[in-house]
Amino acid sequence: MPALFFNIIKLLFLAMLFLFLWQVARAVRAHVGANPGTRTAGFAAEVVVLTGGGDPERVRLRPQGHVFGRSEDADIPIDDPYASEFHARVGVTDNKVIVHDLGSTNGTYVNGRRVTSPTTVVRGDTVQIGKTILEVR
Amino acid sequence: MTRTAETGLIIAAAILAAVGVGIVEFTKDNWLNAQVVVTFGVFVIAFGGIQIAVRRWASGASSLLLPTVAFLTAIGFIEIYRLDGHLAAIQRWSMLIAAAAGVGLLWLLRNTGVGVLRRYRYVLLAVGVLFLMLPLLPDGWPLHGAVVNGSRLWVRIDVPGLDRVLSFQPGEIGKVLVTIFLASYLAERSEAMATIDRKIGPFKLPEPRHLFPVLVAAGIAFVILIYQRDLGASLLLFGLFIGMLYIATGRSFYLVTGALAAVAGGAAAYSTFSHVQRRIDAWLDPFGHFSDAGYQSVQALFAMGSGSLTGSGIGLGRPDLIPAAETDFIFAAIAEEMGLAGSLAVIAAFALLVAAGFGIAIRSRDLFRKYLAGGLTIVLALQAIIILGGVLRVMPVTGITLPFMSYGGSSLLANTAIIALLLRISDEERA
Repeated sequence: MPALFFNIIKLLFLAMLFLFLWQVARAVRAHVGANPGTRTAGFAAEVVVLTGGGDPERVRLRPQGHVFGRSEDADIPIDDPYASEFHARVGVTDNKVIVHDLGSTNGTYVNGRRVTSPTTVVRGDTVQIGKTILEVR
Repeated sequence: MTRTAETGLIIAAAILAAVGVGIVEFTKDNWLNAQVVVTFGVFVIAFGGIQIAVRRWASGASSLLLPTVAFLTAIGFIEIYRLDGHLAAIQRWSMLIAAAAGVGLLWLLRNTGVGVLRRYRYVLLAVGVLFLMLPLLPDGWPLHGAVVNGSRLWVRIDVPGLDRVLSFQPGEIGKVLVTIFLASYLAERSEAMATIDRKIGPFKLPEPRHLFPVLVAAGIAFVILIYQRDLGASLLLFGLFIGMLYIATGRSFYLVTGALAAVAGGAAAYSTFSHVQRRIDAWLDPFGHFSDAGYQSVQALFAMGSGSLTGSGIGLGRPDLIPAAETDFIFAAIAEEMGLAGSLAVIAAFALLVAAGFGIAIRSRDLFRKYLAGGLTIVLALQAIIILGGVLRVMPVTGITLPFMSYGGSSLLANTAIIALLLRISDEERA
């Protein structure tokens, strides 16, 4: 076999190695570079109930979503006289967190603005239900 | 990175391994054989299997770890295959067993999470220390320690009626268990240990009782150094203790005292033990000790030098001249046949793996998970630094395996368990 042939194979193999690493490096940079503490348009995973009785309650989002409301039967019962029985639903679709108002009396507010249609929220946004504030993290 | 992209990269790593094996076969007899297909299949089953387990039981886990690990395993495997086809066949079985163990670990923790490990921390510590000390069992027992290449870190089980004995390195698993213990210990005490309120002259000192863990670390490392004659493992454990104390407290005090203790311990070991003395002399002047302690180092230097920029080509160099080329010195073999380019790719892959690991630790809110992810990443990073430093003659040679690349089942099993735990933590702490 001519040496040239092996040289080409060798270089092709090394090129494959670096092509592979390039792909991984791009993904690692995207992942590690993002600062989790600041407001980034990333995928939110948690909703924290900030006001209301007692300590802040952390709710880890699940694919089927959670219904927040005053009713005992809501997924996340909220002890707030200004909230409706079944006030709002926070669900996950295509890695996006979406807030649906369920026809509540006092409305659902995202960053202080009343929601009329299902609204996508990102990390750092606040959702107000009655007098209770939820923070998306 | 999406799961689909992750799957793509895992298959790409399997193709890399298969292509490498193909090149070895082709340079040997100008033809390919079934080994190419078998290698591809084993890589797909092992890493694909772990990925399926991740999809089922830890669907939010980081997708950065598995492709990187598959890449490192592939390059290591090519070089093992090139050096010894028989060892490569055993290594393939080890890969499958390690992958099965990783899947098993993900299954065990599927409902409870890693938090359950906290509850058993003293059991884990006891088992971990037992594992580390197991090689000291006297000869003649059914389960006994064994000396390989001057270090007593093997355990053999004699099975009556069988010629081949089962042997393994329990210390590899021991270090993972000790990391779990340290993480849960520090998660409870880090605040107290971070408060430094005493001052002696210009130096701020923490409470004396907070120095205790540093002393324990030095003690365990020293016992291993003396009785098992294993420089690498003792350095790894000591570095892990100090690194985790630093992560937990953010106090450079621990790094400084740790470094001082290491230098003092090293100096004491140099003047007391002949095997340490020989290693360090061979490090400072390998060519002067060419005929004995420096031989391995010199052969590695020749190999890396002749590899030059792009290497001799897989299967076309003479890495078989390096002692322990398929285990500790696999990096020298890679540098010879894949050149500076290939060895930089390996180092870059390790850097990416460590970046991904620390990324998981940074993102974790729960202290135990944070320290565990940090500690496990330190274990991977330190192993790579210690052996790469030894091969490149940046520091004395201390026998330790290169994670995922060196030949050896115990090491592969323990490091796969580390990856499974990191995957699990990243799932629980995704944000």
